[in-house]
Amino acid sequence: MIRTLLRLTSARVALALLAIIALVTVLGPVLAPYDPLKGSGRTLAGPSGKHWLGTDYIGRDVLSRILAGAPLSIVSTLEVAGIALVLGTIPGILSVYLGSAFEWLSLRVVDTFIALPFLVFAVAMTALLGNGITQAMIVVGMLIAPVFYRVSRAATMSVARSQYVEAASIAGASTAWIVRSHVWSKVLPSVAVTLAQTLGIGLVVISSLTFLGIGIQPPTPTWGGILASDLGYLAQKPYAPVFPTLLILAAVLACNLLADAIRDAAGETGRALTGAKTARTNRARRLAAPADPAQP
Amino acid sequence: MAPSAHGPADRDAAVLTLTDVRIHNDAADTELVHGVSLRLVRGGVVGIVGESGSGKSLTCKAVLGVLPQHVEVSGGSIELLGRDVAGLSRQEWTALRGNSISAVFQDPASYLNPSIRVGKQVQEVLRIKQGLSRAAAKQRAIELLDAVHLRDPDYVYEQYVHELSGGMLQRVLIAIAISLEPEVLIADEATTALDTTVQAGILDLLVELKDRIGLSLVVVSHDLAVVAQLCDEVLVMRDGHVVEQGATSEILHAPQHEYTRLLVAEHEQYGLSGSATGPHPPVPVSVPASVPVPASVPVSVSVPEPRSSTVPESAEPVLRVDGLGVHFGRGRGRKQALEDASLVIRPGETVGVIGESGAGKSTLARAVLGLVRVSAGSVHVAGRDITHLSGRDRRAFGRDGVVQYVFQDPLRSLDPEHTVATSVAEPLRIRGGLDRAAIDDAVRRQFRAVRLDESLLDRFPGELSGGQRQRVAIARALISSPRLLILDEPVSALDSANRVAILELLRELRSTIDVAMLFISHDLGSVAGISDRTIVLYRSRIVEAGDTSRIVTAPAHPYTRLLVGSAPTLSSGPTDRVQRERLRAGLFVS
Amino acid sequence: MSAPPPALTAPPSARRGVVAHRIGRAVASTARLLAIFVPVFLLGTFLTYLLGHLSGRSPAYLQLGDAASPQAVAAIEHKWGLDRPFLVQYGDWLGSVLHGDLGTSWYNGLSVAHALGQRAAITLSAAGVALVLGIVFGFLFGALAAHFHTRWPDRAITTFTTAISVLPPFIVGIGLAAVFAVGLQILPAAGYVPIQAGLGPWLSHLILPAIALSFDTAADVARQLRNGLVSAYRGNYVTGAIVRGLGPRRIFFVHVLRNGIAPALAVLGLKFPNLLGGAVIIEAIFGLSGYGVYASQAAVRGDVPAVQGVLVVSVILVVVFNLLVNIVLNRVTPDADRGV
Repeated sequence: MIRTLLRLTSARVALALLAIIALVTVLGPVLAPYDPLKGSGRTLAGPSGKHWLGTDYIGRDVLSRILAGAPLSIVSTLEVAGIALVLGTIPGILSVYLGSAFEWLSLRVVDTFIALPFLVFAVAMTALLGNGITQAMIVVGMLIAPVFYRVSRAATMSVARSQYVEAASIAGASTAWIVRSHVWSKVLPSVAVTLAQTLGIGLVVISSLTFLGIGIQPPTPTWGGILASDLGYLAQKPYAPVFPTLLILAAVLACNLLADAIRDAAGETGRALTGAKTARTNRARRLAAPADPAQP
Repeated sequence: MAPSAHGPADRDAAVLTLTDVRIHNDAADTELVHGVSLRLVRGGVVGIVGESGSGKSLTCKAVLGVLPQHVEVSGGSIELLGRDVAGLSRQEWTALRGNSISAVFQDPASYLNPSIRVGKQVQEVLRIKQGLSRAAAKQRAIELLDAVHLRDPDYVYEQYVHELSGGMLQRVLIAIAISLEPEVLIADEATTALDTTVQAGILDLLVELKDRIGLSLVVVSHDLAVVAQLCDEVLVMRDGHVVEQGATSEILHAPQHEYTRLLVAEHEQYGLSGSATGPHPPVPVSVPASVPVPASVPVSVSVPEPRSSTVPESAEPVLRVDGLGVHFGRGRGRKQALEDASLVIRPGETVGVIGESGAGKSTLARAVLGLVRVSAGSVHVAGRDITHLSGRDRRAFGRDGVVQYVFQDPLRSLDPEHTVATSVAEPLRIRGGLDRAAIDDAVRRQFRAVRLDESLLDRFPGELSGGQRQRVAIARALISSPRLLILDEPVSALDSANRVAILELLRELRSTIDVAMLFISHDLGSVAGISDRTIVLYRSRIVEAGDTSRIVTAPAHPYTRLLVGSAPTLSSGPTDRVQRERLRAGLFVS
Repeated sequence: MSAPPPALTAPPSARRGVVAHRIGRAVASTARLLAIFVPVFLLGTFLTYLLGHLSGRSPAYLQLGDAASPQAVAAIEHKWGLDRPFLVQYGDWLGSVLHGDLGTSWYNGLSVAHALGQRAAITLSAAGVALVLGIVFGFLFGALAAHFHTRWPDRAITTFTTAISVLPPFIVGIGLAAVFAVGLQILPAAGYVPIQAGLGPWLSHLILPAIALSFDTAADVARQLRNGLVSAYRGNYVTGAIVRGLGPRRIFFVHVLRNGIAPALAVLGLKFPNLLGGAVIIEAIFGLSGYGVYASQAAVRGDVPAVQGVLVVSVILVVVFNLLVNIVLNRVTPDADRGV
């Protein structure tokens, strides 16, 4: 699947973008030309040779702040996605096998989480539970987890009810055998697609929280926080939000492209062995027609 | 091939004439249908036989003007009631459809809007096309539902699609199709996938309507017998070509083309062939006193010779089922899926199970395998009671591989991501204890046994044909050297050629290896062609059991008689219809 | 043979009569809805209350500061009933919530319900206008794309909806504010005017936040409607209706729309929580003092009853809205089961 993926243009673009972002994340703080926290007399300056992206309202170098903010924004996004992946996928697969009580309960919990107004709860929970970045990540991860739960449960169910699994269990296979040799490979592509999408969503949510000053407070630089401070000086420097916005959008776009590419490479049945040509046909078909005729 | 316009019906007006109709796919730039000519006279019936992809349905769609995007008629002409349909505007088509020509198709549930009560959909046509008032249209709709012999039309009127059975829905669709009294009705695989008895009912209805309101019919089917039963003239299509065309009796008795001969041979070997051939033994009838006794249905069957090598009665049975009961749900939703079923299969014996969908055939098989919970009775396999094994014991029993299972649809029963060799090897790998080379060897041996080329070992199921896939599934079932093989509708998803080939393979395996078979099917022909004994399931109960030849020649239970009388044969006549009518009445009233 | 085979005759329930059957069906579908929504409501409120409990916040510290003596803290907690078992507190709270009483703020002692009532108008106005925009443009784009399926308008709309669905609302909000309020100066950048002051001023203050909120909804509704209509057009019942001689307009409005609209309606139910949630950030951008700002301020202060009040109201709004969506869905497509 991975080799197929690398032959898709969209996947290459996505991975190139993500590689750049990863590089910025790792090297950003080192590359930053100025101290991101130290102001200067030159406030709200435009881009110049000295300050490539200008300065903010207390004269801090914008480029340095964006670079310094990268690790917090990106790493917390990764952690959010990781938490959601673990909290969602494992119960999702288990809900098919652990009996009806667990199934009913977990389904109701997931229904509830999906019905909650996401950002209101994220803001309220983070702030009430101590208003730190750790709390924010756990809360957001928990609120996103139902997506993984639903995806992995649906994939597991369709495999668990399939006749080839029934054939294996007639031959005396254990649940572990069935999960290992039949279920796992079918759940993986849809979980991978969801993971890629979740990275995008997670970045937006984390940026939204930091924009509101929840989770991380100024002056610690984050992309959301920089946007929030830019907002106050729109009249003086209306193009200021463009730089952090572009970075967030590039990351989100890369994640979405990657998700689509994985979907194409995995094919309609979630089969992991599609060739690059089939993947391109899948893409054409997906763009031309409804993604899933699952609606009864 | 010239249209057969030389029959006695020549002086009658043709209602539908196709002259060398060619259908072309513009997107792929390929011709899909290479010239079809036919002439349908008023009150006549023309049949088209062919597999899916033979172009028979496209021809129908062309006549109805509903070809898919990028597909169009590229040559020849279609004349409906003397008008060439090629130049019709959209409005003219709308006016023509329903009023002059209509159609019913396979899978009736999908041809009705799932969100609107079916009665409203009958009424809709009458209101829109005939301008009837709401009340008048409703009254007429209920009359129509009654005319297609739906019991309780008022009730049916109020139902949604998901609340009615396939047979009922097909009757509703026929009611809609005839509501505007069109001249021509196209029945495109209209009875495919319906139970045999239901299929016979729909076909009887079509014949009745033809006679009563003077419909002209185009009947399309993959089953030669269905077409032969109804039609004056038959076209046999394959890969877009009409390979044979002529009067039905000629086609049946002197098939020219190789493909037609295959279709006829299939019915002769694995079907209930005609009553006209040869004398048949006097039929001993013994029926429960409560059931009215209709005249027996005379048929003769090509049943395999009772095998002389039958094991002695004393041998321990491979399978013994006693008073088996299965139910689903609880309280008011409780549904008895199988009641008091008992049967015995001795080593090497093949027992057929026949019944309509929902009769409990698969439940019986699944109960034997422990896939559903048994609520009463017991299951013994090779002398061992396996009715209530614990999960661990059940798995250990499964690893022994004494009983194996072959599903209906091989594509769904093979993991799409495993090569077929991996799938075939799976039972051995689950059992463990064999090294890679030994497993590989066993897989190759099984491949040879089911007549599969070893070059296919590393293919994926999606790359094989339906028949090859089913061979793979059989190989997987046989690799653990089972003593009992349960085959659940193993040939129902296959086309004619593959169906015959798989049945031949099973016959062959039965003689080469010592395995007993439980062969489940809704198709009496396949069951009759392969089993020594046959069990008839009806409404969750075994209503009849006995030697296959006795069941087909002298069915005792009314349902079995209806089933035998409904099985499409190459020479069913109008008398069968009358008998079926009486049998149905007998079954429902008592 | 006690009963006929199911394939050819009506089931025994026919005897109960058509009216009884219809009532039975309505009762069954209502019961199914309640079985989904009552647990969601209970769990949602429970989590809300549990959250306040877990936060370990106390009105005592809010009022007395961190240096308060243990006795004083205990006295105040007793006054607020916080020394009782958790489940008793939850039951009490839920009971008063059901009577419309959301308690009083620890911060200023004012009624939470009253404070929310004042702010709800702002939030619901913004979310409501956004919902209307989302529905109107979603349906417009979806229907157009389906009509021109695979041709250039379809591709243009699909590209556009994909693009705007990726844009986070706060970025859209900032962009709109920068262009229309700060750059072109044709709309106010911040604040709220009640509708009593006139429709024009009201709308001019709301339109930018509403547009920012509506992007995601419009995009998803458009995509679902397009896909729904396209696959409905592929349904055999459309071929059936053509063969019966029904005209294209009747086929679209009666047969295609009815079956193709369900996914779009269902997605509307899912998007409503996002509209309420997005309000938090949109209110911050456009300086609206709605319940989102109230919630984040209260949460930062540790004003537990106020936060719980906001959360429980949003849970109720979401549950009621989804209940409505599902009732509509049940009427439009009576054959499908579905969840929240």
